[in-house]
Amino acid sequence: MALLEKFEAAARIREQLSAGGHDPTQVVIDRIISPTEGMVEGRHTILAGTNNYLGLTFDPACIGAARKAIEEQGTGTTGSRMANGSFAAHAALERELADFFQMPYGMVFSTGYAANLGTLTALLKPGDTVLLDADAHASLYDGCQMSGADIFRFRHNDVSSLEKRLQRLGERAKDCLIVTEGLYSVLGDCAPLVEMVKLKKQYGAYLLVDEAHSLGVYGEHGCGVAEAQGVMADVDFIVGTFSKSLGAMGGFCASPHAELELIRYVSRPFIFTASSSPSIIASTHEALRQIKSRPELRETLWRNANRLYEGFKSLGFEVGPDVSPVVAVRLGEKEVALPFWNGLLEKGVYTNLMIPPASPDRHSYIRCSVSAAHTAEQVESIIDTFASLKNLM
Amino acid sequence: MNTSFDDIEQKIGKLLASYLESSGHPELEAHGEITGATNLVSDFTMDSFQVMEFLMELEESFDIMIDMNSLANAHTVGDLAKVVSELLDE
Repeated sequence: MALLEKFEAAARIREQLSAGGHDPTQVVIDRIISPTEGMVEGRHTILAGTNNYLGLTFDPACIGAARKAIEEQGTGTTGSRMANGSFAAHAALERELADFFQMPYGMVFSTGYAANLGTLTALLKPGDTVLLDADAHASLYDGCQMSGADIFRFRHNDVSSLEKRLQRLGERAKDCLIVTEGLYSVLGDCAPLVEMVKLKKQYGAYLLVDEAHSLGVYGEHGCGVAEAQGVMADVDFIVGTFSKSLGAMGGFCASPHAELELIRYVSRPFIFTASSSPSIIASTHEALRQIKSRPELRETLWRNANRLYEGFKSLGFEVGPDVSPVVAVRLGEKEVALPFWNGLLEKGVYTNLMIPPASPDRHSYIRCSVSAAHTAEQVESIIDTFASLKNLM
Repeated sequence: MNTSFDDIEQKIGKLLASYLESSGHPELEAHGEITGATNLVSDFTMDSFQVMEFLMELEESFDIMIDMNSLANAHTVGDLAKVVSELLDE
C-alpha cells in the first residue's frame, strides 16, 4: 500500500461520521463559559460530556494557584524531569499524591496516556505476562503491547474469566500483572476489585488499577474505586490522570513498591518528554487539596448523577448497569445514534457519541459525564432534550 | 493432542459462521463456504471489536489462551488454525 493510501479508510470514517451534519470528533467549543457551558456554532450549549466531574477548571483557588505559579516560575520547564525539568513543585506534588493514596511512592507524568505507557513499559518486558481487562482503555492496551510482554485478555469485569486464565498460567501466574480500571468510562461500571485482589493474593500476582475516571469521585476521601471497595492498600500500582476531576493535564502512578522510584530511570515516556508546566502542577496540587477538603463536591456530583440516571431511566432509555457520573444511553444502531447525537448538539447539549468499534460492544451509545458544577436546572434540561428526541429511536 | 489441523480449521470455520450469523453479517450468505483462505476482515468487514470478541470465543471453545502478540499476522481462518494448533500442541 502506498504511503498515503491507507488514509482512504480514515476518509470513509470521516464521511460516515459527518453524515448527520456534524462530525462528533471535530466539535469546536468557540467560547468556554464555565465548567458546564460553552458556545458552539453560536449556540449556548450545556456541556454534558467533558469528564469535568468536580467542575474545578474554573475554581478560583485552582486558577489563583496556576496564576501565581506562572508568574513566579514561568510558563514552562523547557526540559524533561531527568534533565532540567524537575522543579520543587513537581516533587511536592508527587509526595502529596503518595500521601493521598496512603502509599509511600508517587510519580508524576506529563499526560495520563504517558502515565500508563510509562508505567507499563517499565514494569513489563518480553517474557512477562499481563492479564488485561478486554474493555481496558487504549492507553493500557498500548502500554502492554509496547512492552513486548505476553498479553492475555479476560472478559470485562468477569472474575471467573480472570481466574480461569490465572489457573491456566500455572507457575507463570505468580508475578503476572493484572490490569484493570476502577470506573469504566463508557458504561460507567466499576471493576470488582475485592474479588480481583483476592485472586491476585491467591496466585501471587500484581494488580494495576487505572483510576482515571474515579479519582475524586469514589471513596470516602475521593481516592477512587479501590478506596470505595476497601482494598486500596492491596493495589500494587494506582495510575490516573489530572485531566478529569483535577481539571488540568498530566498523569501519575502511586505504589507501595520502592521500585517505583527506579521506574524513573527506565521509563521512556517519562524520560523523553518535557515535564508539566508549573501552572499545571500548581492547579493540580490545589485541585487535590479541594478534593480532600470539600467532600460536598462529591455529594453534589452524586446527586446530579442519580438524577440524570433516574431521569433517563424513567423516560424508558436503556442506561448502564450502575449509577455513576458516567451515564450512557444505549441506542443500538449507529444509524439511530448519529442523528440523535446531532439532534442533541443542535438543541444545545454536547455529549459523546460512542459507535462500534469504539464502543465496548456491538451497540452505539450516547455518553454523558455529569459534573458537580451542573445546576439542577441544567440536569433537567439535559433530560428534557433527550426526551424531545425520543421520536428518532 | 489428537485434533488434526483440518479439524481445527473446520471448527474455527463453524464458529465463525455462527458468530457472523449472531452479529448480523449479511455477506455471510453470499460468501458461501468458509475455508482456510477466508479473511476475517476483508471477506466479512469485521471491525477490530468483532475480531477480538470472536477470538475470545475461540479461546473458550478450544480452552486455550491466545497471546495478543501472536495475532499480528493472523488474518485468515487458516492463520488462526495455525495459532490454535500450536497452542493445543504445547
